[in-house]
Amino acid sequence: MHETRDRLVNCFALVFPEMPAEGIPRAAITSVEDWDSTATVTLLGVVEEEFDLSFEPEEIENFDRFGSILDLVSRRLA
Amino acid sequence: MKLAEALKIVKTPGPQDVPPLRVYLACGFQPAHLELFFAAHLRNRFPGRPVEVRLGLYGDPTGNLQRIAAEPLDAAAVVLEWSDFDPRLGLRGQCRWSTEVLADVQSTFLERADQIVATLKQAGGPPEVAVCLPTLPLLPMSHCPSQRSGAFDSALRAAAASLAESLSRLPNVAIVNPGRLDQLSPPAERLDVNSELSCGLPYSKFHASAVAELLVELLYPAAPKKGLITDLDDTLWRGILGEDGVESVSWDLDHHSRMHGLYQQLLDSLAASGVFLGVASKNDPRLVAEALKRSDLLLDPDKLFPIEAHWGQKSESVARILRAWNVGAESVVFVDDSPMELDLVKSRFPQIETVLFPTGDNQGIYGLLGRLRDLFGKAKVEEEDLLRVKSVQNAGTSPAELAEPGEHFDSFLQRAEARLTLSYALDPDDSRAFELVNKTNQFNLNGVRYTRGEWHARLKQPGGFLVVASYRDKFGPLGKIAVLLGNRQGDDLRLETWVMSCRAFGRRIEHACLKSLLDRFAAETVTCRFKSTPRNAPLREFLESILQEDPREGLTIAREQFAACCPPLYQEVQEIENA
Repeated sequence: MHETRDRLVNCFALVFPEMPAEGIPRAAITSVEDWDSTATVTLLGVVEEEFDLSFEPEEIENFDRFGSILDLVSRRLA
Repeated sequence: MKLAEALKIVKTPGPQDVPPLRVYLACGFQPAHLELFFAAHLRNRFPGRPVEVRLGLYGDPTGNLQRIAAEPLDAAAVVLEWSDFDPRLGLRGQCRWSTEVLADVQSTFLERADQIVATLKQAGGPPEVAVCLPTLPLLPMSHCPSQRSGAFDSALRAAAASLAESLSRLPNVAIVNPGRLDQLSPPAERLDVNSELSCGLPYSKFHASAVAELLVELLYPAAPKKGLITDLDDTLWRGILGEDGVESVSWDLDHHSRMHGLYQQLLDSLAASGVFLGVASKNDPRLVAEALKRSDLLLDPDKLFPIEAHWGQKSESVARILRAWNVGAESVVFVDDSPMELDLVKSRFPQIETVLFPTGDNQGIYGLLGRLRDLFGKAKVEEEDLLRVKSVQNAGTSPAELAEPGEHFDSFLQRAEARLTLSYALDPDDSRAFELVNKTNQFNLNGVRYTRGEWHARLKQPGGFLVVASYRDKFGPLGKIAVLLGNRQGDDLRLETWVMSCRAFGRRIEHACLKSLLDRFAAETVTCRFKSTPRNAPLREFLESILQEDPREGLTIAREQFAACCPPLYQEVQEIENA
């Protein structure tokens, strides 16, 4: 779980390089100014690439908070 | 390239004091990763420049093409998928797949294809446009099973091929070669269904990267190499001349050496496109001369120059060949079947591209042929490409060698019947002028290079002049050999770019150009945007001979000063307004 979390933090850091590392676990689409639909698509791609996963369209609704993405990825990796 | 790598490249801040490269990416779908990869490949191509990728609107492929002409751009990339011709051809297009609908889709496709050609034909667009035509599999819309090419699929593919053919005739348009894309991105792995349904981007990440990479290669191709130096034994032919004999070395099917014949065919074709071909072989020169007379050779032996066949070091042979061609090692490829020889040459000339000829590995040789074609490939062969080879073979680069023994140089120039044609046409599509500016190192005022976009924009500036000089004398034509670019400010001419091919050295062409420029504009001074570079010593020496001192940046040459130092000129100079 810790390793998954760290790798996901790295994905966020790539897409949002301005975001302080300690703020990433609390990041949400409503609180991060740069997080728009384009950033969601990029984040989705980076996460898919990092974890070698492909998400179904309905799962992408979870791509709005760090925590929900972590849950989704952890479930898929389990 | 991975998406994470592309992000790192794109998010790294570029230099702020350089104007950005402005490139438009026109596609009807959501560009997302394609845009990222495109920007990353552009940044890799131009590490010292910021890149600005402008995007069109989602779902508006035609409007996006029209926007290309409306914006000031350096270049544009156009990516068209089946659904851009008719949304019913995409995963998101909701329709019945009836016979009537298929017929209608087909006719819509043809209409849209005509519109695309008409839009890209319009004047005023960017100087370079790269187009990628549909790359994804077609939906299973027709009743045919996938192993059979049905009428509907065949008609659409034929229409796409016809569109490619029409677009490739436009001078500023380059089309992505589907065969090359197949090598980089296997067709079965291109479509990402989830991504298309959720985000509107139909490309897998891998495919998006491959398409972006090829688009950037088309827009900003690497400069083609100028010369190839080849070994002979077990390279140009199969066998060892000194051991097997002239009649026993081979390059045919019967002797299982056909791949060497194909290598000869490729070299012959390279020579026909203006590539220098030289030979560096440890061999008996007498046997080499005999072997090169064989009538079944698939390469014109006259195109091999110089031939360095002896038992000395190959690095010495290469040094002599480079001197004869008067080109730098960075523009040359050395092919040999011996890794040791390649290593020795590389250690003497680190910038030369060394390529192992994999004798006995037919598949490897086949791959080598493609690689060599890419290293030397050019979209168009200019007349000057061929003149360059001919003039070097005739030793025409050195007037001193053409003079009779003991003849005074002035009397030689006098009888050379030289004619210098100076064209003042501001023609941005003169590709030879653009090439000269971007390839010339030695006689170069400052080493400044231009992208096509910058060149076009520069030539549109009011008050500017462009001089393209062509030269011929009784020994033959040299073609277009010099370019001068600048503008006039009162009595002063501001010279921003001045290049002259090294083939034209020693004929006082530089003096004639400067004199004609001063006379034409009745100018009193010429101010040069001079900058010393590691390789522009010939230009520096020319300026020094006039100024009688080390040239400095922003130097000015006065008319009287030039007249006092200008040696006698014997060329007949003709000025023309149109190329």
